[in-house]
Order: sequence, then C-alpha cells, then structure tokens
Amino acid sequence: MQATTTDVQIRQLDTVDLGAVTTIDEKITGRYRPDEWERRVGYYLRRDPDAALVAEVDSEVVGFMLGEVRSGEFGLEEPTGWIEVLGVDPDRRGGAIGQRLAEALLDHFRVEGATTVRTLVDETMEDIAGFFSSLGFEPAPLRPFVKAL
Amino acid sequence: MRTREARLPGNYHDAVVKWRDTFIPDYDFLMDNWEKHFPKEPRFKLCAFRELGICNEIECGDDVGKPKITCPSDLGPDRARHLLGAIRAQASTEFGSIQQHRLTLARAQEETDQVWVLRMMAEELRHGYQMLHLLLEDDWSSVSDQTGPDLVEEILSMQTGSHVLGAFNIDFDSFVDNIVFCALIDRVGKYQLAMQRVSAYKPMAESMPKMLREEAFHLATGVVPMRRWATEAAEGDVYISMEMLQKAINKWLPRGLEMFGDERGGGSNVRMGFKPMKNAEAQDQYRAEVGKLVDDLNMRYLRARLPELGRNEADKLMEEIETERSTRHGVGWEDLIHLSHPHFFRRRGVPAFTMVGFEGETFEALDDYTAHLRRHLPESYLAGRDFRDYLETLKQVAAGELSAVDASRRMPSLRRVGGSCPCSRSVRWVSEEPLPAAADQPAS
Repeated sequence: MQATTTDVQIRQLDTVDLGAVTTIDEKITGRYRPDEWERRVGYYLRRDPDAALVAEVDSEVVGFMLGEVRSGEFGLEEPTGWIEVLGVDPDRRGGAIGQRLAEALLDHFRVEGATTVRTLVDETMEDIAGFFSSLGFEPAPLRPFVKAL
Repeated sequence: MRTREARLPGNYHDAVVKWRDTFIPDYDFLMDNWEKHFPKEPRFKLCAFRELGICNEIECGDDVGKPKITCPSDLGPDRARHLLGAIRAQASTEFGSIQQHRLTLARAQEETDQVWVLRMMAEELRHGYQMLHLLLEDDWSSVSDQTGPDLVEEILSMQTGSHVLGAFNIDFDSFVDNIVFCALIDRVGKYQLAMQRVSAYKPMAESMPKMLREEAFHLATGVVPMRRWATEAAEGDVYISMEMLQKAINKWLPRGLEMFGDERGGGSNVRMGFKPMKNAEAQDQYRAEVGKLVDDLNMRYLRARLPELGRNEADKLMEEIETERSTRHGVGWEDLIHLSHPHFFRRRGVPAFTMVGFEGETFEALDDYTAHLRRHLPESYLAGRDFRDYLETLKQVAAGELSAVDASRRMPSLRRVGGSCPCSRSVRWVSEEPLPAAADQPAS
C-alpha cells in the first residue's frame, strides 16, 4: 500500500530502530548487515543525532536518512549539509517518504547554519539521481577521485 | 543551532572537577584517547549549554500560550517547589549513574565498549553540571529554605544508596549492568528530557536539547553491545548468554518503570506546564520501546543461530516460536528474551510490594515468590544489599506489619554520607523527603 505524504511521520532515529533499518537495507540490497548498521548508526548518533531521521507510517519504520553538517573538504570551506545514507522500504516507494525525510533533514541543516547541501550518487544509480533531481539538486562541478588499496 | 555556553562560578566548577577526579578516575584516559575512538568529533567540554531561540510560549497545561517563565520567583510557591524537586532529582540521577558505572567499568572485555561508557559518564557529569547551573544561576531563595550552594553540596554529597530515585541506589555487579543500564535506564532519561524540553520554565527547556542529543549516544552505548552480545550468545560464546541478558533486564526494567512516578500521577506536571504527558502514558510508551528492543535482540539471536534463514523465513519462525512457545530448528521460546509483566518485582507505584510474577501471575506465599524472584534475577544481585532490603521490607508487608505505601516510602534506604563532597568537609545525613506513594511523586 502506498502512503500519502500526510501519513508519513518523521522523527529522530532511535537505537530501537536498528532492526527496521537493517531490514529495509536487506530488502533493497538483499544482504543482511546488522553489524554495518550498528556501526553506522552509532557514528551518526554520536556526531549529530538530529541528522539521523526515520520515517514512520502507522508506527512502522519505512525509511531512514542519515547525514551531517561539516566543512573543510578540499574547496568546500562553507558549512555543508551532507546527505549520506538514504533507505526507503521498496514496498512503500512512491509515497513521498524520501521527500519528507529530505525536507526534514534540509530544515535541520539550515538551522545548523549550512548554506549548501550535497550528496554523492553513483552514475549507475539513476533512480537515486532522479530522486535528488526532483528535490532540486543539480550536478556539481566536483570531481570524485578514487584509488583502490 | 545557537547555544549559550556557561560555566559555574569558580569554586563550584572546581568542586565538580574534584568530584570528577574522584568518581571518573579514567577521565584523563578518555581525553588522551579521544581522537583514537572519536576522530574529528568535538572534544568533551565541562560546561552548561543553553539552547537559544526555543519556543517562548508555554506549550502545555493550564497556562498554555502564556509566556514561559524565566525567574523562579515568578513560578509561584507550589510550582517552584515542584520544579525544584525535579531539578534536584534530575541532578541526583546524573551524578548517581556515574557512581554506579565506575564500579564495574574496568571489567569491560572490549576497549570500545569501555571507552563509550567512559564518554557517556563524562557527558552525564555535564548533565549534572547543567542542573547545578540551573540551581545557581537563578535565585531560588524565595521558594526554598535551602540556598543554591546548600543544594549543590547536598547533590554532590549523595552516594549510591542516598540518591533520590531507586534505580540509582543499586550497585552494578558486572559490566552487563553498565550496558543494560544504558539501554534501559538512560531510555527513561530520554523520556524525561524530551518531556522537559517543553517545560514552562524556560531555563529548564533551554537546557534540554543538548542533553537530549547526548542521550541518543548513551542509548547506543547500551543497545549496540546488547545486540552484539545476542549474536555472540547465539554463536555459543562462553562470556555471555541470553539468560544473562534476560536476568539483567529483569533487574533494571522494574526500576525504569518506577522512574516515571506513580501510575496515577503526573497530572500536576501537566497542569503546571512542566511535562506534556502523565506518568502512566509515558511509562506505557517506554515499555513499548523496550519491547521493540527485546524483539530486535531476539531476531538478532535467531538469525545468528540460523544464518541459513532468509528474512521472511526468520520472521515466520519467530512468530511460531513466540505464539506456540515451541522449539523450532533447535531454538525454543525459553532461549529468547521476554519482557516482564509491568507489575513484576515492583516497589513503587500502583503494584508496589504486590507479589506479581514475571508473566503477571500472582503469589500468595512469600516463600514461593522469593523462589520465583531467585529464578528470574541475576545471582550476583541476589547477594547484594538492595535485594536484601527489598525482601526484608516485603516480608513485613506480607506479614501485615507495614503497609505497601509505607514500604514504598522506605525505599531506598538511607545511608550515612559524608566526605565525598569536595566542597565540604561536613559529614551529615542526607534526608530523603518522603515520596508520596499514591500520586504525583516526582518522576525525574
């Protein structure tokens, strides 16, 4: 069943949501990675718990978004809000859940003094790129560099 | 987020630092290793934070919509006394938990767990500091016989056994207590802080946001290791078992429920605009959250025991085991963790000193109930002072020598305190104000 925008409640992620977050990731990736999510959620809750959000529909966690405000990367001195992790239950897609999460996170970034919000999307993930485009994100003149170790 | 940073006046700040040196002897280790464990994260700072730009209008209660109160003398005597009790209790919990954690901190098997608890202790100290700042920055003399300095001295003098709330008067027996306490008792703290974020007293409301952000990490300090331990238990690890986790939860959950105050109370807090929920409502929500945690631990255990199962199969199997109380693929109902009945092992509130068992069954004979508790509580806890005090009191209630209300007021037992407060050489009794067993006892 698809949720309408008004059904979606956004709140801060709590450690009791770890199971739900792991399940959503498993539905998306097919991999069961509880250790990975414990590590990640622990990290974000330490750094900025207000930027770790979940979306609920009928008290069930159906999506999550993690991010933080930081500055200091090469050429990016201004406080920047980074959206780093996004997961929406595949059974609930189309219900504006990602949009509601992004709106709430961007509000938080503004309060934290960020004037820009950025994210990195793999070129092959067209649906994610489309999602961010729909929110007004544009391709940035930022070149990712990578090296295998 | 705009915040105002503040320090206590010199001698009080120094007193807290001295207290820290006494009760967090590993503080320097934490700071020396901060970058190793928390790279690029702001270093801990002992100060009070007041969030600026919060709502200016009272958000609940009789005066909703009126301007928030900024000065204790404007609260009126009843409201001021009520709030002062809440601040005192909150401060007591912050300092009290540090005294508990330090007893078994060194027993952690993993350095990461230990350092997370250590950071949490430092942040609890900051929370206590924040409460002292509320007592000292404002003038409470018109509403209290005790001066701010008296209150600070009293709070810094408290030790395990003389704190305001029961959960903070119980010694830890192992590092399992450190972790389960963070997961269960700090979760009550999250509720109290979240409720106080809308306090009609603006300095209180301004104090909450930073504390709440830190509390999220404190919960992770408990929940993440518990989840890992459930996996290790499933893999047959010798150091931890689901039974150990179950018994530790049984030890702490009743105390956590009681921290919300009597189930019939909390109306005053709502009317006065200090909290948006009555005790029973908040307590119910808390218990439901702990239920989610327990479900999560069980699933973590089941999937570690049966890694060949997919998500849907695991869900189905879990439902069968839980509803039929059966054993499937070698995993039985008794291998999993369950939530105790809300009346189990209670010493305050509506079910205080009733002999209600783990699943809600009632006991007529004291010996039977004692044997039941013995099966459900950690062995090391049974041998401690807290359980003995409880049982001695329960015997008197069962014999008709003491009413449940009077028995509730007796817990926790008083202890002589002295010499622990760095700003005082005095040795004196800390007197417990009698807590009403019926209604409206402070919940934080």
